[in-house]
Amino acid sequence: MKFKLIYPRWQKLEGQTIFNLPPHGPVVMAAEIPDNIEIDFTDENVEDLIIDESPDFVGISMMLTTQVKRGWEIADEYRRLGKKVIFGGISTMLHAEETMLHADSVFLGEVEGRLGQVFLDFHKNDLKKIYNFISTPPEMSLIGPAKRDILKKDLYYHKGFRMVDLFHASRGCIYDCYPCAVRYLGGRGFRPRPIDRVVEELSQMDNNRLFIVDNSLALDTQWEKDLFKAMIPLKKKWVSHTIEDKDEVLDLAAQAGAWYVYQAVFDTSDYIKNRIKQYHEYGIAVEGTILLGLDNQTEDDIKRLVDFLLEIELDLAEFTVLAPFPHTKAYSDLLKQGRIFDTDWNHYNAGKVVYHPKHMSAERLGELYQYAWDTFYKDEPQTMKMFNLINKVVSREIADGTYTPRRRDIADLSFGKKVPKVA
Amino acid sequence: METNPDFNKYMDRYFNYAGQWDSPSKCGLKVIQRKDGKTLAIATEIYRQNPGTPVTEWCAPLATQIMNEVQCDTGKFIFVEHTPDLRSKLAFYEETFDLVNFEVDDQRFVNPKWSRLTPEQVDAMMEG
Repeated sequence: MKFKLIYPRWQKLEGQTIFNLPPHGPVVMAAEIPDNIEIDFTDENVEDLIIDESPDFVGISMMLTTQVKRGWEIADEYRRLGKKVIFGGISTMLHAEETMLHADSVFLGEVEGRLGQVFLDFHKNDLKKIYNFISTPPEMSLIGPAKRDILKKDLYYHKGFRMVDLFHASRGCIYDCYPCAVRYLGGRGFRPRPIDRVVEELSQMDNNRLFIVDNSLALDTQWEKDLFKAMIPLKKKWVSHTIEDKDEVLDLAAQAGAWYVYQAVFDTSDYIKNRIKQYHEYGIAVEGTILLGLDNQTEDDIKRLVDFLLEIELDLAEFTVLAPFPHTKAYSDLLKQGRIFDTDWNHYNAGKVVYHPKHMSAERLGELYQYAWDTFYKDEPQTMKMFNLINKVVSREIADGTYTPRRRDIADLSFGKKVPKVA
Repeated sequence: METNPDFNKYMDRYFNYAGQWDSPSKCGLKVIQRKDGKTLAIATEIYRQNPGTPVTEWCAPLATQIMNEVQCDTGKFIFVEHTPDLRSKLAFYEETFDLVNFEVDDQRFVNPKWSRLTPEQVDAMMEG
């Protein structure tokens, strides 16, 4: 039996450097698909999708809100051909009711231990409209290594440089952050994976560079320290979200291969300044994630924040405008206040303004978003700053013997497509 | 949950409800029988203590469930959403109150519309 698994494309932000990373949701799902099923995976961001009658069953895995409309289009086409379509992934959960209109089945929640029944139901022609496991997450010890061999690995190189592979060590979050839906998606508790299972998966990964996608590693000090200690011998180099600010934790993180972290910069306080300095003292670079358009930001606040980012010598910065994704407090608040004016999910890419900001017009916020990108990267472009970060990791890899040279055989390709020659 | 000192003024008990996708969910609840014969229900979002769907996202079915439990009818039922002050550094977690007006479809509330209330207005509503 052939199962066609699809990761729909989405439109990338204008003017931004495009890096297509190998997706995580589909490989986690694939690990739970029974062994006798042939999986044919297409990531539409790096290859064309050919819709035909060859699959027996179709799965669509969606991570982003900006993927859902394309996912629905694909499903509609397959269903016209008489194929059954099941949806899963985190944006399926965020948009479940709408997605059900385009699906034979939707899967809500985490897949471990659950997909065998889904495929059994499919074989019996008894697929359920909804598989709802939102409130019953699996035992964390059930989460095994993701099935990354479904990926066409050569498509995730840019000019011979391999992209990081995505990996997760925990799920859920104890916080209720304003723009975040993790409490809905992964539950309101922090659920770390057992360290031995994490190490088992890491040991099997042939990529030395990783992105640990966990919402935050800074939720359980002892587990965090145990994780970093266990990672040291593996010599991986990795990117992650926030790490705890305790010196002992940062020291272990650096030894375990912390390359750079995404750190939210929400004000111009000494706390933020010291936080960045502290990471740098341990040789960990910082990409600031800066959310624009919050109700406490005026135009002047945004301009001051951009100046501040340059002062504190962030290695990279990523600016986004608030996107009120469903199941976030931001969505609830703006909905209550009648401030959301655009509900086209393709526009929820964190680069377009879809609501009325409190202190300026939507148009002005869009201009300030562009101002932030332009000003931060005025003296040193994003590609150059990224190149500096890559140089840092290469030096460390050469020092510990893990460096893999750039692939010359595909140096003229970017994500599988020919790079135009510069005259 | 860290809350402001007036928190209990607006909450007498916890109320369990089946949220979206039947998620077990919980909010704070105060029900007041007013002198004018109307019933005021204040549902408080309790954040981390609520394992399921937030009050705002489920307010129409939640209001219907509360109304049925207190044996009221749609014309005499007033529903207020309360989000307590979480003492966060961020302004988004300050205390708010919203009066929620609904359309009624077959004795069920649908299509909520929110209007912001001051604490003084809520106190006056509690007096009836």
